[in-house]
Amino acid sequence: MSWFKLILENSWRDLRMGDGRISLATQTVLLFFLMTLTLSSASIQNYLAGNLDQMLGSDLVVESHAPLKSEDEIALRSLAQRVSVTQLIDITVTHKNEWARVKLKLIDDAYPMQGNLQVGDTPVATQRAVNKGPAIGEVWLEPRLAGQLQMQVGDILTIGGTELRLGAILFHEPDRIMEGHSTALRAMVHTGSLKAGSIDRGNSLTRYLASADESQQIAVESWARDALAGANVIKKIGGQHPLASFWQRTENFLGLASVILFFMGAVALDMTNRRWLAKMRYRLAIYASFGVRTSTAMLMALGEWLIGFLLSALLAALLAIFACGLIVGQLQGQFPGLQTSWHWVAALKTVGLVFLLLIALQIPSFLQLSRASLLSLIRNPAEGSFVWHRLVWSFLSVALLAAAYSDNWLLTGLTLSAIAAALALMVALTWTFVRLGDLWGRRRTGLLPFAFFMMRQRLFAKSAQVLGLGLCGLLLLFTLMLMRDLGATMESHSRSHDGNLMISDARSDQIDGIHRWAAQTGSTVRTLRPFVPAQLVAVNGKSLDEFQKPSDTLATLQDPIRLSWAKDMPRNNRLVGGKWWPTDTANWQQISAEPEVMTDMGFSYGDVLTFRINGKSYDFNLAASHAYKPGAGSITFWFQVPLSARAQIDAATHHMGSMELPETAWDALAQLWQQYPTLSLVPLKELTERFDQTLGIVTKLTTGYAAMVLLLALFVLAASISGFSADDRQKNGLLMSMGLKGTDCLRLNLYEWGGTALIAAAGAVAGTWIAGRLIYQAQFNLAYDPDILWVAAMVFTMIITVCLVGYIACRHSLNVSVRTLMTT
Amino acid sequence: MQDMIELHDISHHFDTASERIGLFQGLSCTIRANETLAIVGPSGAGKSSLLSIAAGLEVPAGGTVCFTIDGVPVDALTMRANSGFIFQQFHLMPELDAIGNLALPLRLKGNRHAFDIAALWLDKIGLKDRARHRPHQLSGGEQQRIAVTRAFVTAPRFIFADEPTGNLDMHTSESVAELMFGCARETGCGLVIVTHSKPLARRADASLHLSAGRLEAAA
Repeated sequence: MSWFKLILENSWRDLRMGDGRISLATQTVLLFFLMTLTLSSASIQNYLAGNLDQMLGSDLVVESHAPLKSEDEIALRSLAQRVSVTQLIDITVTHKNEWARVKLKLIDDAYPMQGNLQVGDTPVATQRAVNKGPAIGEVWLEPRLAGQLQMQVGDILTIGGTELRLGAILFHEPDRIMEGHSTALRAMVHTGSLKAGSIDRGNSLTRYLASADESQQIAVESWARDALAGANVIKKIGGQHPLASFWQRTENFLGLASVILFFMGAVALDMTNRRWLAKMRYRLAIYASFGVRTSTAMLMALGEWLIGFLLSALLAALLAIFACGLIVGQLQGQFPGLQTSWHWVAALKTVGLVFLLLIALQIPSFLQLSRASLLSLIRNPAEGSFVWHRLVWSFLSVALLAAAYSDNWLLTGLTLSAIAAALALMVALTWTFVRLGDLWGRRRTGLLPFAFFMMRQRLFAKSAQVLGLGLCGLLLLFTLMLMRDLGATMESHSRSHDGNLMISDARSDQIDGIHRWAAQTGSTVRTLRPFVPAQLVAVNGKSLDEFQKPSDTLATLQDPIRLSWAKDMPRNNRLVGGKWWPTDTANWQQISAEPEVMTDMGFSYGDVLTFRINGKSYDFNLAASHAYKPGAGSITFWFQVPLSARAQIDAATHHMGSMELPETAWDALAQLWQQYPTLSLVPLKELTERFDQTLGIVTKLTTGYAAMVLLLALFVLAASISGFSADDRQKNGLLMSMGLKGTDCLRLNLYEWGGTALIAAAGAVAGTWIAGRLIYQAQFNLAYDPDILWVAAMVFTMIITVCLVGYIACRHSLNVSVRTLMTT
Repeated sequence: MQDMIELHDISHHFDTASERIGLFQGLSCTIRANETLAIVGPSGAGKSSLLSIAAGLEVPAGGTVCFTIDGVPVDALTMRANSGFIFQQFHLMPELDAIGNLALPLRLKGNRHAFDIAALWLDKIGLKDRARHRPHQLSGGEQQRIAVTRAFVTAPRFIFADEPTGNLDMHTSESVAELMFGCARETGCGLVIVTHSKPLARRADASLHLSAGRLEAAA
């Protein structure tokens, strides 16, 4: 008990000191960030699990991008108790001069399988539950859509040449999980309402809702795996929410962001550790003089550190609960009904992970501590600075954390490589600058040569200080620059798109109609690129379901992508690797993929990619890799095959492209859509709104993140000054005792801090440049073109801030008398 | 004698980057509890190294060291658990006040009455009114008096003192020496002092002179 009390007292005393406070604050901020992330994620995961249970609308759903063949549908019906077939089609509906892009759901008599539909007579009416969908000849629209089309119950809406009466306002579907969380406008009709061929169903998504017990669910799943390539099975029992893997990827991305924060935290902690270590060595040596064994003293040191950690965890948990409440409030728009709740296991796991990482960062210090000897109180043995051990150990710990968190190996690798290169550069710069400065000053007098001499004497300590500040500057600069450039690019992209109307999907038979309409209205078709919807189902015979590591690319490949063809390399593409096919090649089974897809999926040249196109399988050999090149149109494809492949593929050709509409043509758009309801056109204005929405979310996220980075940067600066203040005090005391004036000491300190800040800033700029060159093109398709003025302003701010803080710290230490300085 | 330290044929040296510097060779002596021993000699003769070896802090390059506690041979770790130290630089914990420093070894040994015992000792050495003062608020003599008391407060079998009066003036040295020898007599523990001070060495029961690698009884 006496020991425990002593440990508590020591911890409390340490935490009240400057270094202790910085350590505590750094640990608290890191824990706060990760716990907020965990608690918000756990609330969402919990919500998704509950959502799956209540809102699947059936026991099982088989989802396919093409309707099942009749024999497959018969097989499914024989395996399940009851089946309802629904189809989702993206179409544009028009009413008078109003139009809207809609997800139209076609349902049968068996719908809904479980639960009820909620409908009303007006968008604000009391909802009533019904257990049948719209009757033949009726259409139901969701409230937003009815408002947008300015329709009321009883009005007539024409879809594909069929007149349908608005029968009800649709508020809720029991299989909403399949629709929900998407902001697309929804409409529902009975499948018998539309004449066969009245609308093109080629680009539809068909869902088979089935009621089945547990064994039947397993049987259907196993049958679908073998018989239905490209189909997706979602079960109520033991199934995973369709959004779960999306959320996991979001978490992984945020995880990488937290790795960067952790890196900065590690720098701040390492700097405060310098003093902590000296103090603990002294404490342990004195304990040893009382006969306390090293192992006991080490346990006490560990206990003291642990108390600091627990206090951080407690503070962070309180703050995280508050922040999580705010975040969940913001997310309720995306996840209706989402609530904050406390998740012990998830929170403890995060605390455990941070604990392991912090203790890993502490290991070099504890190893040094275990060598603390009573002999150090009798004489002063030479001790290594262990800068390199600590640096390598910290880097390894953070790299491991990055590996554990990130699903994007390319981004992680590039980030860590850029940091490692910047560190190496800063070491080289420090050594060169200080050694050359010392060489220059050897036969000179004055304060500047003396400052170089002092820096040369403390080269290791100076290197650690430069590395810490430089790394912090690099991360800060890169985060701010990326934030600024990403926002600017998103904004300019939305406005520099060729034309003001994007053709996102048009069938071949619609192209003539588009050209005619363009001629009539004075519009021009800018670009058109052909493609077929194709779903990647296997790689080298291995099904896509067997790819375990979630990634954005894998998630996108779960649905059909656009497969294009080209005789020669398109003008807006460049060859990155492999060999592009000769112009008139007869070998049509070749394919080229974008580098990001290859990296994320782990593809190699020679791999056989199997695509499912219009119900048939096609194999292609991966022969080349192409990347986007700006300047010749913005439309590019992930996968491209030779032109000769087109003749072998049995599927209708789709097109995407862009148009330029004069102001007068916009009102005539409804006319085009009435003629071709499935034609997918996205006006630039709508595109801009979508971008602005996304940009709004990105800005909120990055601003919050930048605030955390700035906060940690301040801790690093404070730790740097606090960690070296004892040395500076002693040095100033000695100099003043030798007759130097206070102003001379200030100038000397200013030279030192100026030199440190200059090298750190140069390292940070160079590191940012390396990171920019590596990451911008590879990850964001941006050309790295830094704004020199902006970078210069940031560097200037950094140097001034560091010098100013150093100056204030020095003034503070000079206020102490020579006698006191000498005794420290 | 129940507690003792025996040095047999001890030799020691240390290495620099360019050469090996020999300190002493073939030294033998026995240190007993209930006795006070002073080791004197010129700077660099190896007095502190000899003290470290005797205290079990360092292993000699040659020869053997035997530790006996309660008549039973023990290892260096057990020896250290039964020893106390006094340093030239006092080495009080700067963050603790006088009574906190004095109570510290007792608390580390799990004594529930640490502060009461420390208060009694403070009273005994005349520093009761300084109980709440931090080391930097105390004079050198006061700091060393607390350091000496702190070494004795847990009643160790041996105390090793390295230049305990090296940082003090003559008058203060006298009072610290008085305290140190008084405590040793009172508690019956062995006291080994390394010192340059002849008056201090004269207070010891025995005095050894270490010079040019030889250890001889001092006059």
